[in-house]
Amino acid sequence: MSAGNGKRRGVAAQAPPNPSKRFQSGSPATGNRNPNPSPAANGINGMEDELMDEDVFQEETLFMYEEEEEALRLLQDEALASRLLKWKRPALSPSYLSSLENILFQQLEIDYVIGDTNKDLLPMSSGPAAILRIFGVTKDGHSVCCHVHGFEPYFYISCPSGMGPDDISKFHQTLEGRMRESNRSSNVPRFVKRVEMVQKKSIMYYQQHETQPFFKIVVALPTMVAGCRGILERGIQLDGFGSKSFITYESNVLFALRFMIDCDIVGGNWIEVPAGKYTKAIANISYCQLEFNCLYSELISHVPEGEYSKMAPFRILSFDIECAGRKGLFPEPTHDPVIQIANLVTLQGEGQPLVRNVMTLKSCSPILGVDVMSFDTEKDILLAWRDFIREIDPDIIIGYNICKFDLPYLIERAEALKIVGFPILGRVRNSRVRVRDATFSSRQYGIRESKDITIEGRVQFDLFQAMQRDYKLSSYSLNSVSAHFLDEQKEDVHHSIISDLQNGNSETRRRLAVYCLKDAYLPQRLLDKLMYIYNYVEMARVTGVPISFLLSRGQSIKVLSQLLRKAKQRNLVIPNIKGQGSAQDTFEGATVLEAKTGFYEKPVATLDFASLYPSIMMAYNLCYCTLLTPENSRQFNLPAESINKTPSGDSFVISDLQKGILPEILEELLAARKRAKADLKEAKDPFEKAVLDGRQLALKISANSVYGFTGATVGQLPCLEISSSVTSYGRQMIEHTKKLVEERFTMLAEYEHNAEVVYGDTDSVMVQFGVPTVEAAMKLGREAAEYISGTFMKPIKLEFEKVYYPYLLISKKRYAGLYWSNPDRFDKMDTKGIETVRRDNCLLVKNLVTECLHKILIDRDVPGAVQYVKNTVSDLLMNRVDLSLLVITKGLTKTGDDYAVKAAHVELAERMRKRDAATAPNVGDRVPYVIVKAAKGAKAYERSEDPIYVLENNIPIDSQYYLENQLQKPLLRIFEPILKNAHQELFKGRHTRNLKNSTPSNSGIMKFAKKQLTCLGCKALISATDRTLCSHCKGREAELYCKTVANVAEMEVFFGRLWTQCQECQGSFHQDVLCTSRDCPIFYRRKKAQKDMAEAKMHLDRWEF
Amino acid sequence: MADATMEEGETKLFERKQAIYRSLDEKYVVHGQRYMGQQYSHIYFARLHQLRNLLRSLVSKWKPHLLVNTVLGLEESKECVIVGTIYKHMKLKPSILDEYSKERSVVPLVKAHNFVHPDDHLILEDEIGRVNLKGSLLIPTAFVTGVGLALHGKKTSEGDFWVQDILEAGLPPQIKSSAHSEDKYVVFVSGLNVGSNIFNPLQFQLFVDHLTGHLGGENEQKTASQIVRLVIAGNSLIIPRSVLNGQALTPEDQSKLTEPIKELDILLTQLAAAVPLDIMPGPTDPANSFLPQQPLHRCLFPGASAYNTFFSCTNPHLFELDGFQFLGTSGQNIDDLDKYSIAENKLEYVERTLRWRHLAPTTPNTLGCYPFTEKDPFHIETCPNVYFVGNQDKYETRLLQGPENQLVRLICIPRFCESGVAVMVSLAPSLLRI
Repeated sequence: MSAGNGKRRGVAAQAPPNPSKRFQSGSPATGNRNPNPSPAANGINGMEDELMDEDVFQEETLFMYEEEEEALRLLQDEALASRLLKWKRPALSPSYLSSLENILFQQLEIDYVIGDTNKDLLPMSSGPAAILRIFGVTKDGHSVCCHVHGFEPYFYISCPSGMGPDDISKFHQTLEGRMRESNRSSNVPRFVKRVEMVQKKSIMYYQQHETQPFFKIVVALPTMVAGCRGILERGIQLDGFGSKSFITYESNVLFALRFMIDCDIVGGNWIEVPAGKYTKAIANISYCQLEFNCLYSELISHVPEGEYSKMAPFRILSFDIECAGRKGLFPEPTHDPVIQIANLVTLQGEGQPLVRNVMTLKSCSPILGVDVMSFDTEKDILLAWRDFIREIDPDIIIGYNICKFDLPYLIERAEALKIVGFPILGRVRNSRVRVRDATFSSRQYGIRESKDITIEGRVQFDLFQAMQRDYKLSSYSLNSVSAHFLDEQKEDVHHSIISDLQNGNSETRRRLAVYCLKDAYLPQRLLDKLMYIYNYVEMARVTGVPISFLLSRGQSIKVLSQLLRKAKQRNLVIPNIKGQGSAQDTFEGATVLEAKTGFYEKPVATLDFASLYPSIMMAYNLCYCTLLTPENSRQFNLPAESINKTPSGDSFVISDLQKGILPEILEELLAARKRAKADLKEAKDPFEKAVLDGRQLALKISANSVYGFTGATVGQLPCLEISSSVTSYGRQMIEHTKKLVEERFTMLAEYEHNAEVVYGDTDSVMVQFGVPTVEAAMKLGREAAEYISGTFMKPIKLEFEKVYYPYLLISKKRYAGLYWSNPDRFDKMDTKGIETVRRDNCLLVKNLVTECLHKILIDRDVPGAVQYVKNTVSDLLMNRVDLSLLVITKGLTKTGDDYAVKAAHVELAERMRKRDAATAPNVGDRVPYVIVKAAKGAKAYERSEDPIYVLENNIPIDSQYYLENQLQKPLLRIFEPILKNAHQELFKGRHTRNLKNSTPSNSGIMKFAKKQLTCLGCKALISATDRTLCSHCKGREAELYCKTVANVAEMEVFFGRLWTQCQECQGSFHQDVLCTSRDCPIFYRRKKAQKDMAEAKMHLDRWEF
Repeated sequence: MADATMEEGETKLFERKQAIYRSLDEKYVVHGQRYMGQQYSHIYFARLHQLRNLLRSLVSKWKPHLLVNTVLGLEESKECVIVGTIYKHMKLKPSILDEYSKERSVVPLVKAHNFVHPDDHLILEDEIGRVNLKGSLLIPTAFVTGVGLALHGKKTSEGDFWVQDILEAGLPPQIKSSAHSEDKYVVFVSGLNVGSNIFNPLQFQLFVDHLTGHLGGENEQKTASQIVRLVIAGNSLIIPRSVLNGQALTPEDQSKLTEPIKELDILLTQLAAAVPLDIMPGPTDPANSFLPQQPLHRCLFPGASAYNTFFSCTNPHLFELDGFQFLGTSGQNIDDLDKYSIAENKLEYVERTLRWRHLAPTTPNTLGCYPFTEKDPFHIETCPNVYFVGNQDKYETRLLQGPENQLVRLICIPRFCESGVAVMVSLAPSLLRI
């Protein structure tokens, strides 16, 4: 991890790197986009978070190209130029211009570059140095770029015993020599700037002595921290001491974060630079309105409270692009042009967008309220977009899947077209956007591949990533996400149609533009609706990390940031000991009490521990710095009452001896949350409310992630002693609660019934007190909560929150019940672990389960639920179930060959490609399929089929598969606690005897069969003269006709309603519906309605004799 | 006919009068067309096309100084006229999507009779663009989706269209018929609901007898003889749809289904023997549900269909009698308007459809219709002399006079099974009698 950094640097290819500027001997930087750096080689495999600084050399990223010669393209058009003027940021007032005013701004992004030391501010230094850049916005909406000088990278090592202040210079020299050895090509005058001796204490383990000597090693550039750390960890030869290796402290802290911690800056807070303390840059290197230099010691960082909790009017750009792909292929930047870019710019806090425009390739009819800009060549579009970005100067760029698709596509496309000037989208003049592949893996979020795109000075916020991170949804398509949160269906145009629309006329391109605009608009709506800006800024403020970390990194950096801040206050240093354990090295997790499965028809009270794990950590003072190692314990000989022995066998000292840092962080977080909640009640202003609500949520999440941090074996600072103690305490408390409840609430103690604990989860215990009413259960629940809380160490508290009545307990972590928080009315139906939301099931399962639970819990009608299941089973066997209910959807993530095992959806995609490459699903698409009847013994993956193909060719559905593999398990789970012979009752018997299958119209034997008319009444073959009925059925004409026509009428009603709904969604009468959104609940029904109606009509036509 | 009195003893014979009948239902017949997967855009397009030509010619008289613009060509605060189809954005409009996608809510959905909401607003769409309509002149409750209009106004800075004046298509021109002085009557009846529990066989038998001249004194018989035609405007039968679920029928269900049909056939046979009759399908009849509803199949009425005086027609139904033009529906078009807009009485809806020159503007949006491709058959080309609507709550009528001296008799025919009322229309000066 030491020297290989060079290859992770994204450096502009066009700017020939000057070798003299390089400091690493590692592989020289190649190209601007780097193929996956092999994670295994770097030894960061499985790391939750890789913390690495990446030096960016100002000169290298800059890109020599005379901007002045190429005037802004948009400005060439006068009409547009006048609009741009309207869009520009407000002009600076004279006091700003003459540097007389303090500059107060909300910072959004902090990064650093390597440049020459500023001679005016730091006359004593020379050579290259790291310059921090803070980008932000003032409350008047001016953009700010603040260059901070003088802050130096450093880390600590413990001072070897026997070494004193006199040995420093020797040590310094040795280290300097080793550094130079490994970075031969570099011409930095000095690698290690200083070595100082400081008095600090390690955070690990309880220690009796106050402080110890440490060496603080200050290096010239941030990347050298890693190099230097490597050398010291491997060990160096010191005269008189022999070869020594060191544990380094705080050597894994990112430079920008280090700066923020040392200057007390938290993410998204307000920073003030007093007048006179800053100097204007001679030549502006950024496009910001206010650009200046200052010393890091002159910054005033404001705590985000009161006036400083507000938000500056950021500019948020939401955009979406359309590409014209070739038939059957997903668009590739090397071939397929970008044809449209839709943009929406909004000022934070304002409802109406400031700008709505769309840039199109070739002409496009006007759209009301939208600026339509048409261009003749792709180059013009791309450059116009670049100019637009530059002029509009957004602080935050949002969109849907922009990080993985839109932005990389634009950049790669520009590269393919050799438009060298395009990727200057950041705020630094002539500085190119850097793209690289990144793998993000985290225990909480799983492994995600993404692109890491650096647009200097602008925060990217990809709603797609945020959705995946924050919500569990069955589908993350923009369509289904907006249907879920905004209650809005969106028209989905299949990418194979896009090219047709583009190649049409200006009307069809307008159609596309409207679609594109909607895609740009929806992310903004989502952002507003979910209050992402507030929540994320608050989260950044609470945890003290830059906003951009929140999306791109895991939980641990947030805890680490808080830990570092706290440790700094206490003069503690944090060792860099990550990766000590393997990922398999786990501990006993939170077990749950055995579930007594059954259907409880009496109220079940739920006792919850409020923030259980944080409370345990606080109550028992669990922390790195209170942990007592066995030998220390012997050595210190502490009295027994000063030690907490945890159920897992570890020892921690009590808070009188040493107050833990983690408990302190937690206390502060929870106290702050309490405050925020209290303020929230008081707050009237909706914006203030939003901020406070975002804050309390952020605080809650942060408090809960502390425990996870200590248990992350591959994390930054794992300490399994802490986490296993926490869970063991947790288990103990649950058992303790169970014991107390069952001991106290008995008939012996003159309660009406014996209480029974039916189930206990991680932090809650379900008790059936035996009383018949919700009200009585609530009373007892409260009593129990209070009584039991009294037996716990503060602040652990058991709270009574809700009653489930009735309550269906299926197994561990699976239950359903009606949720009552007041005795008058139930609040909702609550389910956990039941197939109401799972996405790999077909809709039928979900509907059936929901309906059954509804019948059982709300209607209290168990026989009704059984009957309903039977009817559905019968419908399924009789082939009467709507196809869309049977569709199973899976994402196609790789092509067929890459899958180790054959999967149904992959096989289907292959088959569909053979049928028609143009409409076959591609990698990245979701593949919907149904399971059809096939030859005996055929594997499940061979029986998958495209629903539309099934509809068109009357292919029979494998109802047995659905019965056994889809319905059976979830239904039995629900019914087994209720019914005795559930399987027998539900899946065997009369209702399963009638079977009906459709005959496929396209395959096998049907090719040889001769079609003959059958009587509509009795299916007897009839001669050509009687076209409708056989002679036996002649008398039943009226009846049979009624049947036919009623069928037609029904189909017609469906057809009419379905297709007009699609028109509604589409927002136009006079154009055909194009939407092919398979996520739409009516997509298949719509298709089926067409076919059914045509069929029913044909039947009807046979009556015309 | 509840007032029909019994009188015995007259032997005088009256010859039933006759009138020349010409069915113009052709345009409503869908038969023979095969559904090819087309969507509804065509019918809207056809409608807009028909109406635009018409409105444009009218605009040149209405506001000759103004230019007709397209929605996309609008320029801010420049007055002009735009022509297009109205889309009414309705908050309460039920959506099939909700039915499918919403999880079962604990609160049951209230079935509303009228989906109008104060927040509803209108949008005008021409072939390619849509624009929000603003202005106090345009009252959203009076319009429905699918109506074609010409609007005078200008674009506001917010991108809306401020409406200053409205032009509807207006009454279509009427074909002048040579006036007849002879007393001839056409009888309208609707909502017989044979097969429902409110159907009263005696009441209907009385009506049949009266019409066939088996009842009443000389006067009544004379009147009866002047009836030249009977029009049954829909809902003659109630089909128990619950029985028809795709399953084979049990014998009881079979009879439940066929008994009412047989009963109706007997009555119709009596009628057809005496007077020419037109039977139109309605929403409850054994017919398709899309407008235009196709004629009831003759096999349902083996008895009556033997007579050449039995005419099974489409709904809507258009015919000429002695040169007078009759146009009418079984009521779906007006009922649907009643769900999605507001008016003082049903006649006002009837009048509106005539002024919009469109029988059923809510098709296909909220009222099912066949996805026509070439034409919009509901466009009213000529102004009828009588415009009737079946299956209404109560009897209402009005004589509507158009600006070009068109005279139209508007009639709401009540449901017979509830009111026992049939409507008699005189052919002469469009007089009316019950």
